[in-house]
Amino acid sequence: MTVHSSGKVFGVELADELRGVVREPAALFFSIIMPVGFFALFVSLFGKFSAGGVSAGTTMIATFGAFGVISVVLMNPGIGVASDRERGWLRAKQVSAVPIGVTLAAKVVAALPYAAGVLVAMTATAAVTGSLTAPLPALLRLLVVLVLGSLPFALLSLAIGFQVGAGAAAAVLNAILIPASVLSGLWMPLEIMPAFFADVARFLPTYHLSELARAQLTGGPVVVHVLVLLGFALVAALLAAVSYRHARS
Amino acid sequence: METVLGVRGARHHYGATQALDGVDLDVGAGECVALLGPNGAGKTTLVNQVIGLLPAQAGSVRVCGGDPRVASTRRRLGVVHQSLGFPTTLKVSELVVGAAVRAGRPRAAAGPVMAELDLTELAGRRAAKLSGGQKQRLQLAMALVADPALLVLDEPTAGLDVPARRRFWRILAERRERGAAVLLTTHLIEESSAVADRVVVLDRGRVLAEGTPAELVARLPDRTVIARTALGLERLQALPGVVSLRADGEHVRLGTRAPEALLRVLLAEDSGLSDLRVEGAGLEEAVAGLIERGAA
Repeated sequence: MTVHSSGKVFGVELADELRGVVREPAALFFSIIMPVGFFALFVSLFGKFSAGGVSAGTTMIATFGAFGVISVVLMNPGIGVASDRERGWLRAKQVSAVPIGVTLAAKVVAALPYAAGVLVAMTATAAVTGSLTAPLPALLRLLVVLVLGSLPFALLSLAIGFQVGAGAAAAVLNAILIPASVLSGLWMPLEIMPAFFADVARFLPTYHLSELARAQLTGGPVVVHVLVLLGFALVAALLAAVSYRHARS
Repeated sequence: METVLGVRGARHHYGATQALDGVDLDVGAGECVALLGPNGAGKTTLVNQVIGLLPAQAGSVRVCGGDPRVASTRRRLGVVHQSLGFPTTLKVSELVVGAAVRAGRPRAAAGPVMAELDLTELAGRRAAKLSGGQKQRLQLAMALVADPALLVLDEPTAGLDVPARRRFWRILAERRERGAAVLLTTHLIEESSAVADRVVVLDRGRVLAEGTPAELVARLPDRTVIARTALGLERLQALPGVVSLRADGEHVRLGTRAPEALLRVLLAEDSGLSDLRVEGAGLEEAVAGLIERGAA
C-alpha cells in the first residue's frame, strides 16, 4: 500500500468514524456537556481566586480540561470497538485489505476534535466569567499537551473494548475514569483533600497529565510527568496489543 | 486452471480439540467449491484461515500465492459473512464506496456494482435499517466492488427469497466467467449441488470426500426411501441396506442401494407404514451417508 493510498484509506476510515459521531452524537454530547457543565459551576464559584499569579479559573482549565479530554478519549474508542465487535463489523474490517491499525487509529483520531472542543468550551466559559488570565500561547500549549497526552488513554480504552461488550465497556471505563479523576484532583484540588489522595495520585497517569497541563500555565517542572506518561503509553500499547490478539469474538 | 486458493496440510487445534487435521484444498480460477459437513466439522476454522483471521498452526494457506494474513493479499479476497451488523450510522453508498477505496479501487467503481445488485435506490438509506435480503445484497456489493480473485461466501443466501437467490447466483456466475473463484459454505446442500463445480465434505477436521456433486451421489445410496413409520431410529438404522438415515418431520429418509430388499423388511415389520415413496437419492443423502461412514 503506497503512502497515497494509505492516506485515502485512512481518510475513509476517519470519515466513517466522524459520521458516526455526528449522526449519533448522544454519547459525545454527555461526555462534553458533563465536564463543561461541572467546569462552569466551579469556575463561577471559585474562578476568580488566585494562586501564584494564575487565577483558579485558568488553572481549572488544566484540571477539568484533563478530565474532559480523558473522558472523551477514554470512553469513545473503547465503546466503539466493543460495539463493532459485537455486531461482527470488526471481523469484517479484520478481513478487509486495511491493516487493523489504520481502523483503530481512525477511531482514536476521530475523538480528538471533540476533546479539543471540550477545551475550547471551557476556555470560553473561563473568559466569559472573567477568570481567564493565561496568555494565548500558554493556552495553546495546554491544548496540545492535553490532546496528545490523552492518547495512551485511548489505547487503554481499546484494550477494554476488545474484551467486553459495549454496555460493559461503558461501565468499566467509567469505573476507571471517575475514581481516577477524583483521586488525581481533577475535580477538586488535592490541597483541600485528605493527604491519602495525594499519595495515591502520584501513581496515576491522570494526575500526571493534569500536572503537565498545569505546568504550561505555571512554568512548573515537566520531566517526571512526561516520563510517567511515556511509561503509561508503553503499558497501554502493550495491553491493547495483547487484548487485540486475544479479542473475544 | 490457475490455482487461486491453495491449502496444504492445514491443521488447527483449540486446546485438545483438533479442528483441522491436515486439510488439502485447491480452488481454481472460475471454479465454485462448496464446503459441506456437520457442525464442528472444521468448516469455520478452515474459512477463518482462508480469510486470514486464523493462522494455520501447521501447513499453509495461500490466496493468489500470498498469505491471507497479509493485508495486500486480502485485497484479492471478497467475503460475505453469514450475519453482519452494519454500523447504525453509515449509509449504503458510503459502505460500498468505502469498500472500493479500501481495496484500492476508484470510488466510481461503486456505482455499477450497486446498480447490478439493485442498491442504487437504497444508496441514501442507513445500512442497519435494511431488510435481511437487502443486507446480504449490500455485503455482496461490498465484496464484488473489490473485484476479488476469491469470493468466500458463508451461508450467503440465508434470508433471501427464491428470486433473490436466483439473482444472487446469476451475478456470481457472471463473475466466475470472468475468473473469480468461489469458496462456499452452506447448509443448503441442494443449493450447493446446483451451483458448485466441486463439493468437499469435511468431518472432524478431515476431508472425507471430494468430487463433483454427481460423483459423490454416485458413490453412495442411489435411492431414498421416504415413509412414515412406527419403527424407532435405532431399528431403522439396523435394517439391511440402510446407508443413511435422517428424520424429516414425521417422515424418515433412508438412503439405500437395495431399495427392494429394504422395502420388503419395512413392510414386514411395520404394518402401519404410510406415505411410502422411493426417490433417486440427492447430494444430501450422499453427504449424510459419507459422514455416517466416516464416523463408523
